[in-house]
Amino acid sequence: MTRFPLLSRIRFRDAGTLLGLILISIVFALQSDVFLTQPNLINILQQSSINACIALGMTLVIISGGIDLSVGPVAALSAVLGAAMLVAGVPIPLAIAGALAVGVACGFVNGALIAWGGLQPFIVTLGGLSLYRALALIYTDGQPIFGLPDAFRTLTNGSLAGIPNPVVIVAVFALAAWVILNKTPLGEYFMAIGGNPEAARIAGVPVTLTKLAAYMISGLMAAVAAMVLIGRLGAAEPTMGTLWELDAIAAAAIGGASLMGGRGSIVGTLIGCIILGTLRNGLTLLNVQAFYQLLATGIIIIVAMLIDKAASGKQGG
Amino acid sequence: MQARLRLSGVSKSFGAVQVLHGVSLAVQPGEVHGLLGENGAGKSTLLNILCGVIPKDAGKVEIDGAPAHIASPRDAAAAGIAMIHQELQQVPELTVAQNIYLGAALRRAGGLLVDRKAQETEARRLLAPLDPTIDVTAAVRDLRVAQRQIVEIAKALRAQARIIAMDEPTSSLTPMEFERLVAVIQTLTAQGVSIIYVSHKMDEVFRLCSQATILRDGRLVAQVPIPQTPVAQVIETMVGRELAQASHHSFATGKVLLQVSNLTRGNAVRGASFDLHAGEVLGIAGLVGSGRTELMRLLAGVDRADSGHIMINGHPPGPDPRARIRAGLGLVPEERKRDGIIAHRPVTTNTALPAMRRFSRMGFIRQAFLKSRTEALMTGVRLRPLDVTRAIGSFSGGNQQKAIIGRWLASNTQIFLFDEPTRGIDVGAKAEIYDLIEKLASEGRAVIVVSSEMPEVIRVSDRVLVIREGRISATLARDQISEANIARNAIPA
Repeated sequence: MTRFPLLSRIRFRDAGTLLGLILISIVFALQSDVFLTQPNLINILQQSSINACIALGMTLVIISGGIDLSVGPVAALSAVLGAAMLVAGVPIPLAIAGALAVGVACGFVNGALIAWGGLQPFIVTLGGLSLYRALALIYTDGQPIFGLPDAFRTLTNGSLAGIPNPVVIVAVFALAAWVILNKTPLGEYFMAIGGNPEAARIAGVPVTLTKLAAYMISGLMAAVAAMVLIGRLGAAEPTMGTLWELDAIAAAAIGGASLMGGRGSIVGTLIGCIILGTLRNGLTLLNVQAFYQLLATGIIIIVAMLIDKAASGKQGG
Repeated sequence: MQARLRLSGVSKSFGAVQVLHGVSLAVQPGEVHGLLGENGAGKSTLLNILCGVIPKDAGKVEIDGAPAHIASPRDAAAAGIAMIHQELQQVPELTVAQNIYLGAALRRAGGLLVDRKAQETEARRLLAPLDPTIDVTAAVRDLRVAQRQIVEIAKALRAQARIIAMDEPTSSLTPMEFERLVAVIQTLTAQGVSIIYVSHKMDEVFRLCSQATILRDGRLVAQVPIPQTPVAQVIETMVGRELAQASHHSFATGKVLLQVSNLTRGNAVRGASFDLHAGEVLGIAGLVGSGRTELMRLLAGVDRADSGHIMINGHPPGPDPRARIRAGLGLVPEERKRDGIIAHRPVTTNTALPAMRRFSRMGFIRQAFLKSRTEALMTGVRLRPLDVTRAIGSFSGGNQQKAIIGRWLASNTQIFLFDEPTRGIDVGAKAEIYDLIEKLASEGRAVIVVSSEMPEVIRVSDRVLVIREGRISATLARDQISEANIARNAIPA
């Protein structure tokens, strides 16, 4: 083990997810000449980046035993408020900070209702799903906000050493999430309250603050995704982010997160996002109709869960 | 006589680990047959094979002389085998009658509708000889554990079971409830039902069983006639070594560590007041449901008191578990799985949870320090196997308990609250837990031990509080501690 410190850190489950990605890629590479080209691969990463932002936060929430269904509308609300600030001429860093603060605030509201109010995460964030969407629609009167400054747009449309900035942004946040989960007390607390909330409380884990932190991080990541998307589109729509929560949950689940809480992996979630992105990209290259793309996505999710069940069943759960 | 059940040469491996090595046993009709062994000896595996939960690798099962092929729980039920699990498998929301007929509902209207009336009548008939006080229309949730167990037995009778395996049936019964269970078992055996009785409690085994099969490390080590074999010999055969005879040392000092005044919560705990001294082991005895666990939860800050207060080292601690832990208090809960451990996390992080600040620097966990410190602590409490990176849930009950003790040592806990410290723990590990309790006291820590087992309370305590219906009914000094004194004060007048 000590001879290969890096290898020993790659967990068995993550290796399985990676194997799935490789298998899917081989299938597409055999079918399409374009698939394995560098621009296409970078394209896949870029297309996966929005979902990856959301899924990173979602993974931490799921590990802590919760769920956040409100991420799409939170993103929309941060997007329109951020866009309004940008259009009004607020300095770009300040506007971004403002938009991210909106996301964190939404997460705080979710977390407060769950942690202090003792309400169920599914219901609270289901309510949030409508609430934040309504706020975004009311604020914009249902109209998109156009005219974002170019200086802002270059932040997300540029690239660093050939790698698109959204991918770089995801990489930075993924590293941060990985460090939090695996190297800090907060990460241990996430796994503890997700694995056994009552035992965690008796062991002195600050359960309330930990839950709050999870939802605030999720809100933050929704806002980050919003910034990436409005930069790319040049406009902020109050209707953006529909069904984002489901893609994010799917990516986390494919990556090994248990909706029962306590388990999950940042690396797995990232690979899960790339699997979903690869499917869409590959099937599009093969000219498969959108309906069948949906079908394939559904099958992949279910197959991933079946393999998971079979593998964990052998270890006795 | 033709044996009711005969197992011969049953073997089982999980991966490379062989957990049963050709085990054989025979149970006669109407016999109560003890199945004894330490945790990990293979008792559960054997029962699970018998009940079709897991397949056997080799061996034969015969019922009434005919070979039985048991590949699923359904097969086992058809063969007349039922199991009363330690954790009862019932649907709490359904009624007693519905649970008894779960999966085998009586029907009417050509099989379209469930015939509740008939089910209730039949359920009443089944329960009559066992416990006629149980209301068949009550939700199982509202029953006491002892009653739920009897419902489970009625369900086995409904399925016409001729062999009933009971896995630690008394782990949460009061002495009076145990007497009822004894009567129930005698009713069953009189009807020719054979019982396989798994228990760690020697007094029960000697009261009920006529034969016992003793397993150790997956091997059959002895089959003995029970009343004729001395208890000590049975235990030695189980454990494979002699257990040191208990002796009591007191390390109690006059220094008050914990002061409890008038602590009250609802009807569960009513005006509890007492002092706990450094180096003292304070036993808390009483019937199940008398408020002992509730008192521990109030002390640990898990539940809030309606009134009253506590002082630790002369200072009032904050109200929540975190604050109590900071003040030096640690709870070793009764329900380890539910309240004690994060099962799939390693021993290291389970140890570090209350003391993350100690184990981290600049916001990061000091992994190497955590590992070495945990190893040192777990060596001290004799964790086996000593692999602190393993998931705590994969250890035996006794070793999980040791790991939880190690956790509180890591947080420098001064006051240990043990709630049923040896529940579900085998004889060998029990002695180790007692040694640890004594060691904690000898180091000047204060210990409270809540226990339903009289010999345990008597063995470890310097002083005993008896609780009756939420109130402290007696305080017994070391020389007053006896079963009779405890029982007299524990049982409601």
